Amino acid sequence: MKLRTKLTFFNAISKLVIVTLFVALLPSLIKNINRNYTDSRLRKQRDQVLQTIKQNGIKYYMEDGNSYAGYTPIKDVYVSIDRDTLNEDLDDIKNEVRKVEADTIQYRILSNNFRVDKKNYLLEIGISLDTVNERTGPLQNIAFLVLLVMVILTIAADQLYSDYILRPLGFIIKTKLVGSKFPNFGTYKKVETSTDDFLLLDVSIHQMVQTIESAFQKEREFISNASHELMTPISILQSKIENMFEEEDVADELKVRLLEMQRILNRLKSITKTLLLISQIENDQFLKEDNIRISSLLQEVYDEISIRLQDKNINYEVNIKDDFTLVNVNKFLLFNLLFNLINNAIKYNKESGTISVEAVKENTAYVVKIVDTGIGISSDDLPFIFNRFKKLRQSLQQDSFGLGLPIVKSIAEFHHIKIEVESLKDVGSTFKLVFAGTTIG
Amino acid sequence: MNVLIIEDEKALARELEIFLSNSNYICEVCYDGSSASEKVGVNLYDFILIDLGLPDYDGLDLLKEAKKSNPDAAYVILTARAEINDRIKGLDMGADDYLAKPFSLLELQSRMQAITRRKFGLKNNVIVLGEFSVNLTDRLITHSAAEVSAITKKEFDLIAYLILHKNRTVTRNQLSEHIWGSIINDDYDSNYIDAHIKNIRKKLTAFAPVEWLETVRGLGYKIKINT
Repeated sequence: MKLRTKLTFFNAISKLVIVTLFVALLPSLIKNINRNYTDSRLRKQRDQVLQTIKQNGIKYYMEDGNSYAGYTPIKDVYVSIDRDTLNEDLDDIKNEVRKVEADTIQYRILSNNFRVDKKNYLLEIGISLDTVNERTGPLQNIAFLVLLVMVILTIAADQLYSDYILRPLGFIIKTKLVGSKFPNFGTYKKVETSTDDFLLLDVSIHQMVQTIESAFQKEREFISNASHELMTPISILQSKIENMFEEEDVADELKVRLLEMQRILNRLKSITKTLLLISQIENDQFLKEDNIRISSLLQEVYDEISIRLQDKNINYEVNIKDDFTLVNVNKFLLFNLLFNLINNAIKYNKESGTISVEAVKENTAYVVKIVDTGIGISSDDLPFIFNRFKKLRQSLQQDSFGLGLPIVKSIAEFHHIKIEVESLKDVGSTFKLVFAGTTIG
Repeated sequence: MNVLIIEDEKALARELEIFLSNSNYICEVCYDGSSASEKVGVNLYDFILIDLGLPDYDGLDLLKEAKKSNPDAAYVILTARAEINDRIKGLDMGADDYLAKPFSLLELQSRMQAITRRKFGLKNNVIVLGEFSVNLTDRLITHSAAEVSAITKKEFDLIAYLILHKNRTVTRNQLSEHIWGSIINDDYDSNYIDAHIKNIRKKLTAFAPVEWLETVRGLGYKIKINT
C-alpha cells in the first residue's frame, strides 16, 4: 500500500474514531451540562425568593399562613412555599414527580428549609425535566453536524497537504526508481522540495546510481577497448598464418600445425568479436529500423542451421500458429538471437532428438517457444545460464566458450524481449521469448 | 592492378602486401594519412584499402579526399572500429566494401574480385568443372543442359568461394568464416563445412564424378581447374 494511501486511511480512521467517541459521549455530557445549568438556575431562584422574603416578610408569599404555589401556564416552572412540620434542615436538588392540576410532571426540584419568625418553612422550586430534555436533542444534532463538517474539512485539508508534501517522494519513486531502466538511468533531475528528508533521499539515490553507472560505464568501456585493441594483433597473426600457409616450401605437416594455430586464433577471434558485439549492443550502437515477419526470420535461421540439424539427425518442427511482424527491430541481432537459441537446442540435444519451434499469441502477448529434447539444465544451474563465460558441467564437452546465452540476453534486453526458461534435467529445455507490444506491427 | 594499402599497423600492412603481391597485385604501402594523401594526389590506383583508425588522419576524411583525385578507384575500408555508423558513413561516401578486422586474407581477395567483376562487368562467369558448368552470375550449376537444382544457397556459396580461390587449398576456417562469418555464435570449432561438402558430393555424383573437388587431408578443400 502506498504511503499516501496509508496516511489518508489513518487520518480518516483516527478522526472518525474520535468523532464517534465524542458523539457517543455527547448525551451524557449534555445531560450533565443541562443539570448543572438547571441546578444553578434553581439556586438563583431560591436566592431570589429568600431575598424577597427577607425584605418583604413571609407574608409577601403566604397570606394568612396559607401555603403558596405558583407556576407558569405550561407548568414548566413552579414555586411552592409551605409550612414545614418536620424539623429538618433540607437543602437538596433531586428529580421527583409532582402532580400539578391534572398533569403528572417529572420535575427537577430544589427543596430548601428556612426559618422565618421561628417557624419552619419548606421552599420547593421545580423545573420540568421535559423542558430540559427538549434542548438536548437539537443541541446534539447541531454538535454532530458541526463536527462532521469540521472532520470533512480537516480530512480534505490533510489530504491536500499530504499530497503536496509527498509529491517529491512520488516524483522520486516514479522517475528515479520505477522509471529508470537498468543500466541506462538517464539524466539527473533534482527534486524540488523543501523537505530535508526527501532531498537527502534524492541525493543518496543519485549518488548510488552514479556509482553503479560509472562502474557499468567502466566495464563497458573496458570490454569495448580491450576487444578493439585485441582485433589488430589478431588480425596480424591471422594474416601471417594465412600467408605462411600459402608458401610453397612449407611442408604439409607444418601446414597442419599452422592450421591448429589458426583454429586457436579463431577461438580468440570469436570470443573477442562476441564481447565486442555485446558491448556494442549495451552501448546502443545498433539501429532498430527493420521490420520482419517472424515466419521469414525463422525460415532464414532454418536455412543457416539445417546442416547442423541434418548432421545430428534432429527432427525439427516449426509451428507458426499466429504469424506476426516485428517492427523497429534490428534484424541482424534478432537473427543471431534465434540462431543461438536454436543452435543451443541442437548442440545440447541427443542424437535423433526433436526441436519444436512455435510462434503463437498467448493472451495479448506474442511469443516464440523453442522446445528441445536435450540434456536439460539442472535447477541449481538455471540462475547462472546467462552469465558470461559460465560453462555448465554438462556443456563442457561442447565446443563453446560460454557466450551464446549472454549474447541472447543482451539482444533480448535491447529489444525488450522477456526470456522465460523452463528445464528438466535429462528431459529437455524450453526457451520462451515474449515480445514487447511496442515491437509488434 | 595497382593497390594502395593505407594501414598504420606495419606488421599487418606487410602481410597484406605479401598476400596481394603473391596474387599479382602491384602494391604500395602507407603507414599514415599524410603520406597517403600525397600518394593519392600523384598516382592513380585501381584499389585503395583504407584503415579508418589512422593516427594522424580521420580515415573517412581521407576517403573523401582520395575520391577527388582517384574517382575510379575501388575503395575497401578496413577497420577494427566495427561501429555500424562508420559502416554506413563509409558506404555512403562511396566506399565499395567494408571489412571488419580481423578478416581473412582470402575474404579480402574475394571481396576485391567481386568489386572488379561489378566494376568491369565481366561477362564470362561460367566456369567448367568436369561435366558441370557453374554460372556464378545466375548462381546455377548445370549438367548437360539440365539444372542441378538440389544444390542449396549455402552449398553454392561454398563452391563459388572455392572456384574463386581455385587451385589453392582453402581451410575449413577460411570457408566457415566466409559462410558463417556474419553470425555471432558460441561455436569455435564447427565441422559443418565437412557436412556441406559431403552433401555437395552426394548431390553432384548423382550426375557425374566430382574429382575436381579435392579434399586436402588435414587441411581443407580445393577445386582444381586446369588453365
